[in-house]
Amino acid sequence: MNIGRPERVFEVEPVSLPVPEVLPEPEPRLVPEPDQESEPAKPGTEDEPAEPGM
Amino acid sequence: MLLETDVRAESQTVAEPVAGWRVWTLYAKRRGAEVRLRPIGGRPRPWPPFEPARATCSRHGRHPVPGFDCTCGLHATRSLDVLRRARNPAVFGTVALWGRVVEHEHGYRAAFAYPQRLMLVCHLCFWQWGPERSSADAVAVLRGGRLVPLCDGHVELSDRYGYPTRQLLPVRRIEGALLSTYAVDPLCL
Repeated sequence: MNIGRPERVFEVEPVSLPVPEVLPEPEPRLVPEPDQESEPAKPGTEDEPAEPGM
Repeated sequence: MLLETDVRAESQTVAEPVAGWRVWTLYAKRRGAEVRLRPIGGRPRPWPPFEPARATCSRHGRHPVPGFDCTCGLHATRSLDVLRRARNPAVFGTVALWGRVVEHEHGYRAAFAYPQRLMLVCHLCFWQWGPERSSADAVAVLRGGRLVPLCDGHVELSDRYGYPTRQLLPVRRIEGALLSTYAVDPLCL
């Protein structure tokens, strides 16, 4: 590409460039905390004392 | 002859970027994905999306880039006629230039550049008729991932004469990928 003879030099201030579109991150899936009440109670624990006489 | 030091003394700072015309080749990694603009001549490093293309000089080393008496820098033209002689362009458009800029009779060389508006062109029509009558209808994929936009007439000629295209892709898909990759607008003439 022949653009001819150079004629002058100058400085141009920086331009602002397009910014990549940032997609929102998917919300983290809610992981249910372990439900202690649903666990089968063991005999003799604090939650459910062992039946008397055992 | 104007010396580099003399030119520097005349230099001034301009707030608005310089705009010029330019052509590129086009490459993709696979089946039209990850399209990138590449210069037609010189080192074919791709132009990065969302970052300015930066000029370097390997010929004369120690001078500000672009050098006044060198050929380094990112080129653009003021005249469309100059561009018509470019070898096998795939993309035609406008480009913003900034940083150190050397103004020439028919164009510019700059330190930094970024595309502004782009369109795919059939290089055979571009050479024959100019950009106004060079719109493409399909994009041929060549070996190495080079993309060659062609009009319907030249697709037919390519088939007839066995031009080695690996596949044809829809022009809208590639143009859409190009515009979104660089986040720029289409060039409408």
